[in-house]
Parts: sequence; C-alpha cells; structure tokens
Amino acid sequence: MTARALVIAVCAAVLVAATPVRGQDQPVLLASADAATVIRAVLTAPTLVDYEGTKILTALRGQRAETVTILESYKRSGKLRLEFLSPESASGRLIVDDGASSWHYEPSRHIVMRGPSFVTAQPAVDPAVILSRYDAMVLGNEQVIGRQTVVLSLQPRGGGLVKRLWVDQATGVVLRTEERDPSGELLFSSLFSRISYSLNLPSALFRFHLPAGARIFSFYVSGDPITDPQELSRQAKFALRAPIVLAGLRFRSGTVARHGALTAVTAQYTDGVGVVSVFQTPASRMAMPEGATVALRGMQGRWLDLGYFRILMWQSGGVSFAVIGTLPLHTLITIAEELNAAAR
Amino acid sequence: MTHARVQRQLSALLDNELTADEAQELRAHLETCARCREELERLQGLKRLLGAVQDRTPPAQLWDDLRRRVDAPAPGAVAGLLETIRAAFRRPALATAAAAVVLMLVAFPLVRGRIDRLRAAEIGPDLFVREHALAAATDPFADRAYLGLLVSDVNLVLIGERRERGEELR
Repeated sequence: MTARALVIAVCAAVLVAATPVRGQDQPVLLASADAATVIRAVLTAPTLVDYEGTKILTALRGQRAETVTILESYKRSGKLRLEFLSPESASGRLIVDDGASSWHYEPSRHIVMRGPSFVTAQPAVDPAVILSRYDAMVLGNEQVIGRQTVVLSLQPRGGGLVKRLWVDQATGVVLRTEERDPSGELLFSSLFSRISYSLNLPSALFRFHLPAGARIFSFYVSGDPITDPQELSRQAKFALRAPIVLAGLRFRSGTVARHGALTAVTAQYTDGVGVVSVFQTPASRMAMPEGATVALRGMQGRWLDLGYFRILMWQSGGVSFAVIGTLPLHTLITIAEELNAAAR
Repeated sequence: MTHARVQRQLSALLDNELTADEAQELRAHLETCARCREELERLQGLKRLLGAVQDRTPPAQLWDDLRRRVDAPAPGAVAGLLETIRAAFRRPALATAAAAVVLMLVAFPLVRGRIDRLRAAEIGPDLFVREHALAAATDPFADRAYLGLLVSDVNLVLIGERRERGEELR
C-alpha cells in the first residue's frame, strides 16, 4: 500500500468513526432544524433506531410524586422490554412487549399477566396534524448525558399538558421529557441517565419466557376495536352516546367489554395526536368513588385527579359516564355537557 | 437366615408345609430371635381366630344363582360403571368422600374463574386507567415505559394484588 493510499484509508476511517449513530439510516443533525423537522425525526426514530438504556421516570400519582428507574430496551419496530430497578415495590418487575402481546411478570406474587401490546398500536401521524394541534417551537440546543439535543416545546392549542422534549440530534430519540399542566405544575418527567444505540439487540430479549409455576392471568378486557359509532351503539345494547365529533375531537374507535351481565363501552376521541376515552355503562354498574363534586349543567359529577390522568364521572339518562385523559377539567366538563346534550 | 425370609416361612411352618430341614433351621432361629417368636405367636393367634369361625352351609339356590349370572351376557362399560357407582353408594363414607372430591373439582375452577372475572369486571377508575393507558399508546409523544407501568399496576389491582407504594412516595 502506498503512503497516499494509507492516508486516504486513515481519513476515511476517521470520517466513519465521527459519523453520528442513526441506526441503519442516514444520520440526521437537528442542530439548526425547525420544529417540523424535529417532529418528523421523533416520529421516524422508532422505525430506525434500537437502543438500550436506563431511564428515570418521575410522575405525579395522586398528590405525591413517584420516581421509578427502568432498564429499557427497544428494538425496531415495536418491541419493548422494561426491567424495573426501583422503587422496591416494583423492583424485579418485567414487562416484555413482543409486538403482539405484552407480558407482565410480578416476581413478588409469582404471577404473569398477559394483555394487548401497547407498543405497536402506532398509526402514522402526519407532522402537519401535530403542527395544526400544537404550537411547536424549537427552544435551542442542550446537552443531555453528553449528547447534543434540540429542545422542542409543544403547547396544545385546545388546552392540555405542555410538553418539552429533549431530542437527540443524531438519532431523533427523546432523551428527556417534561409534561406540565397549564398552571405550570410538573406532572411527568423522564430522563435517560445512560443510553446505547445500535446494539443489534437479540430477538430473544423480546420473547417472554414463562417462569416455572407462575400463575397466568389473561387481561384482554375489551373486545376488538370498532371504528363505526353506529356499529358500536348496536353492540352496546343500551342507549349509547357516541357522536362523531365531541368538543372538537373526532371519534376514532370504540370497544365493548362484557363480563357476564356487565357491559361497558369505551369510545376514544382524538385530535390526531392525543386521546380521550369515554366510558359508558348502565347506571348501577359503575363504581362512583369519592372525589371532588363538579357542577355540570343541571347535574353533578365527580372529579378524580390521579395526577397524570384525570377522570370526570357522572350519571345521566340511566347511564353512567366517565371521561379520562390528560386534559384540564374545563375541557372534560365541555365533553360531559356535549354528551348530555346529545341525549336531548 | 434373614428376618425377611423367616417371616415368609412362618406361615408355612404353622401349616406344616416346610421340609424337615427347613423346619429345623427355622426353629433354631426362633430360639435365638425374640422378634420372630412374637411374629409366630401373632400368626398362631390369627390362625386360632380363623379356626373358631363356624362353617356355614351355603344356601341351596346359590349354585343356581351363580350359574344364571355366569350364563348372562357380560354388562357393558356403562352398566359396569353404574354398578361401581351403586356399590360406592352402598358405603356412605366412600360416597361422601367421592361426592366431596367431585364437588371440589367442578366448583373450584368455577368459583375461582368467577372471582377473576368479577375483579376484572369492576367498572371503575382502575379499569378506566388501564383502557385509557392502552389507547394513549398511540400518542407519538407518550412515554410507553410509563404507560406500561400504569397498565401493570392496574392489572395488579384488578386481580386483587395492589402494589403497596406507601413510603416510597415522596
């Protein structure tokens, strides 16, 4: 090899080594990108990047905050493994989502709970829809665990949690998040304290192996999704209220859950990004827990603030209703009043 | 001579079924072994007891009845089973035990399944959180690790195994 060829080879090696990691795709450098580009990178990252890291979550539950440490492994597209390290009450818990089902193993009880996958249900979201629902803004660049990130702010135009995302400039993976309610109170935050990309994680890591002697519970509570409100009403077998548009949100799908004589119907409404769930069931069959009393037009409801999620419950026309989401109370009240008006 | 072999031969000794050499060898062992002498006395007592039982003349029609039953066609599997059940019910203790076992086998899974279904069917905030967390997974900005935590916590509640958080909250 000549000296010139050697120099070229060394330069090429240096260039390859310096290239930021982006899975098997071309690298994206978001340092001076606009909000739409950053959003697009976040949306495509799950289809391009594998990673493994330690994540710290802090969430408001009830009136207090809980901090949870998780070993999180993700493999394209839609395979997730979560190993809970702390707190002690959740330590050892394992959740494996293989893209078809999710498996939850609770070592302290030696039980396994199987349910639907919560990773693959990812419809393609158009960045334009997000931009029409949120005021999106790039706030600048910051370092998170030694990686360059771009900070993206998303403020929902219809009210709701204000999100701030620290997006890895090289991969599009969100390394840190904060979600605050409109009053500025922090409801949820997450932070990777360590992350590794492109590990070629083995598929076996995302296959659940049943521990010997563990009891299994199948938790497919609801039936298949129904995308037609009329069909949902027909299957509910009671006077269901399922308008196509509710407080500016569009009907997406619904499910019917039956357990013997008990029937509950869930309808999901979306602004194209976030989701609100509306539950309906014949009146005497729904638990009405203690909670703050809320005046609805001509009736009373109960308001339950679980921290991250908020629930508004009421009864009308022989049917019990519950609306749950991350929306502020006034938006949930608007939904309740529109549903009550739909029966008149 | 082992005790096991001696004890097999004791009954034969009482019935005079051993050869002279075997009987002599056995008697020599009995002179030195208290345990085998006790066993011999127990067998002698049992033989005396059986000998005291008086012979009874069988009923005159017994042979006729037996011949009729031998000549009759063999009962089918169902008839045989029914006869076994009838025989069991002629013995109350056995019948009671069998009924209890059947009841447990049938009732336990039903009751257990019912409890699981009822717990899962509690239509209240826990069920709402579970179903909504699963639906919220479609939000591209949602943290799936957190949703997984919420769903798994609620699943524990729905089967009656709530996670105690208590002092770990701050």
